[in-house]
Amino acid sequence: MFRTIPKLWLFSFLLTLQGLAQSVSVQAPADASAGSAFALKTTGGGSATLYLLGPNHILKKNVELGGDLQIAGSDVSASGMYQAVVCFSGECASKEFYVRPAPPARLSFLVHPSRVPVSAPNAINATAIVADRFQNTVLVPTPVEFHFSLAGTVPFTRNQTTTRGIAWLQMGSTAKQGPLEVAASVGDISEPRVIRQVASEACGLRMSATSNARNVRVQTDPIRDCSGNPLPDGTIVSFTKVDQAGRSTVDTPIKKGIAAAQFSVAGPARISIACGVVLGNEISVGGGQ
Amino acid sequence: MNSWVLRLARPIGAVSLTIIAVVSYSAIVVRAASLPRVTLNADSIGPRAIEEKTGESVTRDYAQAWRDLADALATNRNASLNDYFTGIAKARLNQRIADQRNSGLRTQYVDHGHKVKALFYSPDGGEMQLVDQAQIEVQVFDGQKLIYSTNSPQKYLVLMTPGADRWYVRSLESIPDGVLKY
Repeated sequence: MFRTIPKLWLFSFLLTLQGLAQSVSVQAPADASAGSAFALKTTGGGSATLYLLGPNHILKKNVELGGDLQIAGSDVSASGMYQAVVCFSGECASKEFYVRPAPPARLSFLVHPSRVPVSAPNAINATAIVADRFQNTVLVPTPVEFHFSLAGTVPFTRNQTTTRGIAWLQMGSTAKQGPLEVAASVGDISEPRVIRQVASEACGLRMSATSNARNVRVQTDPIRDCSGNPLPDGTIVSFTKVDQAGRSTVDTPIKKGIAAAQFSVAGPARISIACGVVLGNEISVGGGQ
Repeated sequence: MNSWVLRLARPIGAVSLTIIAVVSYSAIVVRAASLPRVTLNADSIGPRAIEEKTGESVTRDYAQAWRDLADALATNRNASLNDYFTGIAKARLNQRIADQRNSGLRTQYVDHGHKVKALFYSPDGGEMQLVDQAQIEVQVFDGQKLIYSTNSPQKYLVLMTPGADRWYVRSLESIPDGVLKY
């Protein structure tokens, strides 16, 4: 009996050694970047199957254990959590690791609205999302420069730093109408957009009248907003006449900066003018102004 | 606390789906037999406040997206991804499913719910960023063989954008704890 105990001990020791030789583990790098190659370290020996499970990709291939397993950058283009799994003789070992985004290389830039009246407070919203070349959101705070330029005015810049990949700003439109170019930039990357700034509501709307025995012709002064921008041709102006015959309205578009209309009048009449929400002066005809 | 319950019922195939949304000022919850449970907290959202109806839509649509995602990864069929995914999120899931199919793999999700925190809502209402603390059991099979499983919580950074009648998941990035320290 005492002879058999050392034999059993030796046998179990050899089994343990064999088990140790065949135990498998996989180690991932502490810092991996999207699109960059790296190596997984494995222990054990023999042929095994490697699985790399990623957000947008599965890699499955036969590997030899006991050394470094090279992973190409193209296998980790998406940032996020990955699982490296090595299966050997029916047993699998795994390691979860994070692939961080690559440096900034792209900008998603959204500007709203595309058309805005001048001098409107908080009317312009700009949101920039910073991503790497694989469209992974860059989570490291990144400075974004918003550059604004409009012909005939001094360009200006606002700077914002991203939070979780997003930089945004809200601002009023400027006083001059025309195409406002807005560009978001990160380093050498720039995304331009254009906002069309248009004249705001009419300001100081005035008309004058000339009349003969039966007709009155009314005509506005050049119609501008409060910043001096001419309202665009086509903007509708409403002239309303009230006389003995009743009430009559003529809607007419601005042409070459002014609007005009002609009325037949019966006795004394009052004519008023409006453009959008703005009321202008009122004229009395036939009974003296 | 103001709260109310919304019930919606619509047939999906032969199955009737019931969504119950419990809404309060600070949290919106979607529960349904066939939908994962999603709780939305919008207490710290900015710069724009979230409207109640918007919160309900986001919560419901995000739950639908996860149901579709789980279905697509389990069956390796990507048709269901068309309804609630768009952009890079959809492209990546399609690629993952194609790779799974080519490798003979499939992924089984047992979804125990999502605690979603709305972080950013753009002033024009065009984008919403959320972080999701998901409680999901994941099992990956090669054929019939289980090669990987985990049930540890997983965090996701999510970007959703509105469509004509729903919110779409545009970006869905898994992140480790601590990466949002900024």
